[in-house]
Amino acid sequence: MKYKRINVLGLGNMLHTDEGFGVAALNSFSESSNYPDRVNCIDGGTQGIYLLDYIESCDALIVFDALIPLDYERKVYVYRNEELPDFIHRKMSSHQMGFSELIGVAKLHGRVPQELVMIGAPPQDLQLGIGLSPELEQLVPEAVKAAKALVDAWLVAE
Amino acid sequence: MAKRIVVDPIPRIEGHLRIEAKLNDSNVIEDAYSSGTMWRGIEVILRGRDPRDAWAFTERICGVCTTVHALASVRCVEDALGIEIPTNARIIRNLMNATQVTQDHLVHFYHLHALDWVDVVSALKADPKQASAIAQSISPWPKSSVGYFKDLQQRLVGFVESGQLGIFANGYWGHPGYKLPAEVNLIAVAHYLEALDFQKEIVKIHTIFGGKNPHPNYLVGGMACAIDPNSDTAINIERLSMIKKIIDDTNTFIDQVYIPDLIAIAGYYKGWLHGGGLGNYMSYGDFPETTLADFKTLKWPRGAILNKDLSRVIDVDPRDPSQVTEEVSHSWYTYSKGDGKGLHPWEGETKPAYTGPKPPFQHLDTDKKYSWLKTPRWKNNPMEVGPLARVLVAYAKGDPMIKDTVGLVLSKLQVGPEALFSTLGRTAARGIECKQTAGFMTHYYDQLIANIKTGDLRTFNSDRWEPGTWPKDCKGFGYTEAPRGSLGHWIHIADEKIKEYQIVVPSTWNASPRDGKGQSGAYEAALKGTPVVNPDQPLEILRTVHSFDPCLACASHLYDMNGNEITTVKIV
Repeated sequence: MKYKRINVLGLGNMLHTDEGFGVAALNSFSESSNYPDRVNCIDGGTQGIYLLDYIESCDALIVFDALIPLDYERKVYVYRNEELPDFIHRKMSSHQMGFSELIGVAKLHGRVPQELVMIGAPPQDLQLGIGLSPELEQLVPEAVKAAKALVDAWLVAE
Repeated sequence: MAKRIVVDPIPRIEGHLRIEAKLNDSNVIEDAYSSGTMWRGIEVILRGRDPRDAWAFTERICGVCTTVHALASVRCVEDALGIEIPTNARIIRNLMNATQVTQDHLVHFYHLHALDWVDVVSALKADPKQASAIAQSISPWPKSSVGYFKDLQQRLVGFVESGQLGIFANGYWGHPGYKLPAEVNLIAVAHYLEALDFQKEIVKIHTIFGGKNPHPNYLVGGMACAIDPNSDTAINIERLSMIKKIIDDTNTFIDQVYIPDLIAIAGYYKGWLHGGGLGNYMSYGDFPETTLADFKTLKWPRGAILNKDLSRVIDVDPRDPSQVTEEVSHSWYTYSKGDGKGLHPWEGETKPAYTGPKPPFQHLDTDKKYSWLKTPRWKNNPMEVGPLARVLVAYAKGDPMIKDTVGLVLSKLQVGPEALFSTLGRTAARGIECKQTAGFMTHYYDQLIANIKTGDLRTFNSDRWEPGTWPKDCKGFGYTEAPRGSLGHWIHIADEKIKEYQIVVPSTWNASPRDGKGQSGAYEAALKGTPVVNPDQPLEILRTVHSFDPCLACASHLYDMNGNEITTVKIV
């Protein structure tokens, strides 16, 4: 068994419409699948530093998130390992760490997952409100499908 | 491979705290202004919803302290509906809250605040042998060998040389304000990493009682977890012994790592006693031994102190419309009865009205409105809330544990109690309190076991679960002392739905702008009089603001009224 523990992490704030894309995709993924216990679904919200364990404790990690790519097409983006772009190091506020800082700490600890995938889509609407915009709602099945294809392959990897 | 681009994660919990400080000719801060630059509007989202669901939404306000909002929320609904929770539920909530505070304080000290005192880059030059000797002289903590520090230093060198400074990217390394010897810096960095690992263990308690983490489950009327010592799925003997082990390890870590580090680091900075500020302190109190209404049994006492007068603790009643109020003289809101009139949260209004400059701008017009934070006041006084406020209220009320621990820390540092009224005092108070709440974890664990042994397994009171049993119109107040300070949720329920909901969070107290009378908020007051060695690297401002443990994400959430910055994209 190559990947003993697979984590699927949804990030975002569901109080701000499409900012909650990652959490919505995670919920859809979790409700529509029946994977063994070694696949863990985690609604990470906006927890920053407190999510470190979910990154360091697995062999393969999928992160669902709202993201803003350069070309900004309304579609699902999948970044795998070295395709994963460098993040801007934002000035840290409060004791919040961004995802890029968390990966940095995992590197320092020598505990970066063997597989690291980010699946996301650019937001249409970030207003205060619950529920995705229709444009992003439409993209959830595709994001979930992409994640399932990866997990399916990881589960049988020797 | 595709071209390398930057995908900018949306700034979801960035502080958006803006501090403007005026320096005089000698680079001493003459005046300071604190502005929360984003607007929060959870109140609007909650209107019309089922009050039993409010906790699940409020716990999403803040990315750092989810459980505290869930706790305040269920408490305000229970207060409105007249629900008494079972003893087990009270104990479990207290245990989860003590866990939250302990973990949060630990993370604050090492991962936000320590780097204001600890120079990471200097640690690269430390002698591991000496670091080991120092570590062994201050604590019995076993990870203190020469080899341990040597290995850590090598990893750190590799990390820095790789150019991915990451978590350490934003420091003012080499600033003359850093006073620690290289070896103490190395010890602190070692413990920075150890604490990062250890904090993951502490919150497993939330997973066990709350069903999941992050975002554990709360429930109006009690807790959602079942207790049954012999069941496989409930809180059983096995899970309880897991909790006990985590609690014991937590106490060891606080006693052998956090407290010795705090004393060792503070010892080099006791000449830097700036940042005292208002001298007014308030705590709603928390950790009920009976019910929340019975203030006398709160293990964290309720009260207020004015003008640093520790001989008098004044009673606080957040339900009294004349005590806790919010006004908006300098905040970007309008009130129907005038912006300078303080409104009690039950009468609160949330009507945004931005009149500030159009970004990007150089300076705020601080004579007018300049913040998205409202201006909370207690009996018209600006108040500091948080660990220092709680420790001082408990100290002034003669709490024996607090008196002893404060005494111990002061005597080790060879300073008097007046040293507490400072940035360093705030930082020390957080450590003292962390030791106390780790003790609370043991206390509530023992209480839970004792109660289960009586045969009481109840965790939920369903008497008023059905909306048909509710009064047609009712109001409630829920409070907790969050790690950052006093948190209040005020609810108005009518016809089985939320009519109004107002939250006053700790960072709004501390980061508030001036009020109509020109009285500064806690951050503003604390910064006044502080010398800034190098205005291009205002380390001193960071120290003082960080000592409050700011959580602006929750005081003013991700709401960019102008929508520009959120879509910034850059090519490397």
